[in-house]
Amino acid sequence: MSRACHRFTPVFSRRELLRSSAGGFGWLALRALMASERASGAAMENPLAARAPHFVPKAKRVIFLFMHGGPSQIDTFDYKPLLTRDHGQPLPFAKPRVVSSQTGNLLASPWKFQQHGQSGAWVSELFPHVAQQVDQLCILRGMHGSNSRHGGALLELHTGSDTFVRPSMGSWICYGLGTENDNLPGYVTICPTLTHGGVNNYSSAFLPAVYHGTPLGNASVSSDQAKIPFIERKVPSSLQRMELDYLREVNAAQLSQTGPDAALEGRIEAFELAYRMQTEAPELQDISGETAYTEQLYGLDQPETRNFGRQCLMARRFAERGVRFVQVTHSYKWDQHSGLKKDHSSNAMEVDRPIAGLLQDLKARGLLDDTLVVWGGEFGRTPTAQGDDGRDHNPHGFTMWLAGGGVKPGITHGATDDYGYYAVEGKVHFHDLHATILHLLGLEHTRLTYRHAGRDFRLTDVHGELVSEILA
Amino acid sequence: MRLLLGAMLAFGVAGHAASASAQTDAEQLAHFEKQVRPLLLEHCQKCHGPEKQRGGLRLDAREHILSGGDSGPAAIAGDAAESLLTQAVSYDHELRMPPQGKLSEAERAALVTWVQSGMYWPDAPEAEPTAPLPTEASSPKALPWSFLPISEPAIPEVSRPEWVRNEIDRFVLARLDAEKLTPAPEADRATLIRRATYDLWGLPPTPEEVEAFLGDTATDAYERLIERLLASPRYGERWGRHWLDVARYADSNGLDENLAYVNAFRYRDYVVDAWNADKPYDQFVREQLSGDLLPCDGDETLRHERMTATGFLTLGAKMLAEDDPVKMEMDIIDEQVDAIGTAFLGLTIGCARCHDHKFDPISTADYYALAGIFKSTRTMDTFTVVAKWHERPLATADAVASAEQHQAEVEKKRQRIAAAETAGATTPGEELARLKGELSELEQAAPAPLPYAMAVEDGAATDLSIHRRGSHLNLGEIVARGFPIALAGDSKTALQGSGRRELAEWITQPEHPLTARVMVNRVWRWHFGAGLVRSTDNFGQLGERPSHPELLDWLARRFVEQGWSLKSLHRLIMASATYRMSSEYDERAADVDPDNRWLWRMHRQRLEAEAIRDAILYVAGNLDESRGGTLLASKPREYVTGTASRNATTYDTPRRSLYLPVIRSALNEMFQAFDFAEPSVAKGDRESTTMAPQALFMLNGDLVQQQTHGLARKLLAAHPDDARTRVTELYLRALSRAPTEAEIDRALRFVGEYATHPEALSPAGDPTLAAWQALCRVIFASSEFIYVN
Repeated sequence: MSRACHRFTPVFSRRELLRSSAGGFGWLALRALMASERASGAAMENPLAARAPHFVPKAKRVIFLFMHGGPSQIDTFDYKPLLTRDHGQPLPFAKPRVVSSQTGNLLASPWKFQQHGQSGAWVSELFPHVAQQVDQLCILRGMHGSNSRHGGALLELHTGSDTFVRPSMGSWICYGLGTENDNLPGYVTICPTLTHGGVNNYSSAFLPAVYHGTPLGNASVSSDQAKIPFIERKVPSSLQRMELDYLREVNAAQLSQTGPDAALEGRIEAFELAYRMQTEAPELQDISGETAYTEQLYGLDQPETRNFGRQCLMARRFAERGVRFVQVTHSYKWDQHSGLKKDHSSNAMEVDRPIAGLLQDLKARGLLDDTLVVWGGEFGRTPTAQGDDGRDHNPHGFTMWLAGGGVKPGITHGATDDYGYYAVEGKVHFHDLHATILHLLGLEHTRLTYRHAGRDFRLTDVHGELVSEILA
Repeated sequence: MRLLLGAMLAFGVAGHAASASAQTDAEQLAHFEKQVRPLLLEHCQKCHGPEKQRGGLRLDAREHILSGGDSGPAAIAGDAAESLLTQAVSYDHELRMPPQGKLSEAERAALVTWVQSGMYWPDAPEAEPTAPLPTEASSPKALPWSFLPISEPAIPEVSRPEWVRNEIDRFVLARLDAEKLTPAPEADRATLIRRATYDLWGLPPTPEEVEAFLGDTATDAYERLIERLLASPRYGERWGRHWLDVARYADSNGLDENLAYVNAFRYRDYVVDAWNADKPYDQFVREQLSGDLLPCDGDETLRHERMTATGFLTLGAKMLAEDDPVKMEMDIIDEQVDAIGTAFLGLTIGCARCHDHKFDPISTADYYALAGIFKSTRTMDTFTVVAKWHERPLATADAVASAEQHQAEVEKKRQRIAAAETAGATTPGEELARLKGELSELEQAAPAPLPYAMAVEDGAATDLSIHRRGSHLNLGEIVARGFPIALAGDSKTALQGSGRRELAEWITQPEHPLTARVMVNRVWRWHFGAGLVRSTDNFGQLGERPSHPELLDWLARRFVEQGWSLKSLHRLIMASATYRMSSEYDERAADVDPDNRWLWRMHRQRLEAEAIRDAILYVAGNLDESRGGTLLASKPREYVTGTASRNATTYDTPRRSLYLPVIRSALNEMFQAFDFAEPSVAKGDRESTTMAPQALFMLNGDLVQQQTHGLARKLLAAHPDDARTRVTELYLRALSRAPTEAEIDRALRFVGEYATHPEALSPAGDPTLAAWQALCRVIFASSEFIYVN
């Protein structure tokens, strides 16, 4: 018996730690334990310690700019002159077996396209600022998914499965690589949606809870109000410090009664981390130190772009501090079954300058080289019309783009058919995108596995082909 | 596209016919080598070759192409139109190959010609035989330990018979003996009452209850404590919630379109009642699987109760917005099969949807035999977006008929009004007014809306085909509805209707190797914090082996012998010396057995989310213990998370946590922080993590703020002149023990420093109240409060 011992030999297996002590962003708890563990000579692995990837990575972190609702490829990045020519004609080939609703004849894009940059990529007038950055982009025009509904498509994009609750890609990435900042979560999602799968789009599912995404607000909250849950102090920090000092004594006294207990020790550290986070997170979210130039770059000076601009700026600030996966969601606005002209215009207006600003800012700070930026929605839209000013969901062919982090800049990969309905060349399924994102981060998607409920799971399940053509 | 393929075929056929006789081997060889082989090599063999065999298919030898893969033969020599290979490359078929992009027209034509002309392949060196598919697909699998009959273990002899209170202890001690470990001493009585009360109620004992127990010197004081706890309805609220984890209970659909399950609560209340009534577990299982099919001898209440029980089958997470109705139906069936496998049998049957289970002896045929039972069960009313699940009225046939009749009269009246309005000027105004008046009277006289339960009923009995690779577009042979052969044997039971009743009978046979084992292990897990089989939800090959296999079997047998009584099982377990051990640390034992697999002490356990919240409210004197019913404010099928993403559900209620709505994909933040079970999968073993968000909740959460504020006020009001008593009362209420003098001194020093701190003085509030509130926060945040020894 070793009652009342203060120095003891921790004797916890990694498994027990993962189960009992790891979680959220409480890894400091583990670190404290590990320090003594190392002293005792036993091997111990912190589940969130930065880990070596499978091979030398091109990217260290990801910023995913998610356009919820399904932006139209044929009105943005996938120029289809024949669609304009054949406006009002029937689609000259079969529509998919399964559609989300019936659509009519071809509907020309109301926006003009132009070639931009050295690469000469076509971009519509919806994205004038992003068009200026086109030489940074690797445009994937042959994207496709398997589900024609928001819920299924979101889950497939975020987790690889439209049928089951599976770990999200950010969770897999943190599981594979750990994190580089001890005082912040490794995976944050700014203003995530609560619908179409909600939390399941950033959950760790069966991976240890330590890899769960930390939400800042949700899509109904403006980005300056988006905060980590329970982060706001209810008492001044000096009083809280006094309270925590006393709590620490109480808990240490309890620990001296119980003898070594990983969870109880972890709790003591978790409160210390919580104390620091309450200081660090608001500092991170306080952008008053940013220059007027930067604010303008992200569009914080304009009412239309302020909200999303702030999200993008937060993404850069998190990325700078070593957060591994940052998702920024442009809330469920892109679903233009009708009102395409008006709403796609205002949606694009809200995100165009902030995104271009983010790309420029990352580049200027030297972050773009090892930050992979991903842009896109859960699907694209049909070239055929719903009503006279709308388009239906289309998972069969649409556009996403990547930038930075080891992809070839200024290229276009893949193509849809003449009207932009089906991907026909350089097809990239979500599974392939996942495999490629993992690859850029130095992870072989078939080797990043986790055993659960009777088998080894992967982000890509049994699918996924690396899109090697786009690797720099 | 169909036209294009047709044209190519016509061309191919014509070309073939014209030249067949003249076509020499040389021409065929040239066509193959120049046109076909390069394209197979370039576009196909990376995934369908010697390295990889996607879909079990190789395209690097004629035999492989003819024998095909999971989807059947890849080609039929001489019949391009019927060959999967040519269909797939046409991109006009469900299967579109190659996936990275369509072949050129010339390439497609070359393939068509080649297949149509008989698939010439030069007699090159014999192709190596197809590598056998991953062996699990074909080889018989060893039976997992859990498939073997439940043994009748001998009660072991042990070193210290005086420690033993019942047979459980003999099994545990025998194992400890073998490991040269000794059991921890019995916990003190204050620890025991706190442990038992949290265990059976999810609440702490009151200071009075502690005092009474400590003063009860009768030899059966502990047994009477257990009886008292088991007899309270709080017991069912605690243990029913454990079962709800296994039942993946929630009040919304989740996954995609997130609609309110406004009637799910009836199933939740059914579960609580069942645990309180000590409903035999076999009956509990039968009701959940087939309650609607059990005879009720005209007892309406019983009929409703049993119908409600089948909510188990309906309340899983579903994709209600899936444009492919066949896929939607199969996904819903899959969810049911998976839930049943996990909940009742501890098996991952869902793994066999796409291929034979890789590790357990469950074939796809077994899977579709079970799936057929649910294909034959009506769970849904529609499969069109947004789909409707089935609900059934909890009312007599007469009440249903009269409600329907009333509805029909209302409809009739409405139609007459509509007709009158359409007729316009020809209908006198008074006539229209009269009709409207009658309608309004009729509507006012409407009978009260009938209560509905989420429940199933039998549909048309249908056997399913094996869905190759899980795809409903790739069907294989039809399998008769039935149960897994490795467990149930090959002889098919005659099924009536869907077969759910027979399924329930099969699962609950006393000799079923899994049912009782899985359940006693779950109960053990919920008492001890870790199962005898630690993977409570997986008793297959990849699950963990039992730490005490004989004890598990002995308990399973006793459970069945005692009429599947859960309360008897609690009594047995809680009476054991094993359960009554302290959780004291022992350095040597911790060295040998750090995970406490051999049970040398009681596991220290963190309270679950619900118990933490309930205990805070209870200690503060604010827990509302009214029972049952729903707090979900939504209308039937209303979105609980809308497109504006705002979750309308409020959790601001003093009711027990069990009654808070469980909104899938938007769980209460406090529940999320404290490891609430993901409500989309059956889960018998919640995590217990220590995370910074938990600390943040304890520091800043609204619930903690409100309750500590109220508690501090109460303490100050109750003992205005006696600070030491205030501290004592706080300790007694929250920690079930009196503080030491030193602890009181320290607490008062803290309160004094806090109340006189300049920051505490500055706000308009009351610094003394703020200081006592801070003390309450510290006690709630302490490890002693949220851990049970």
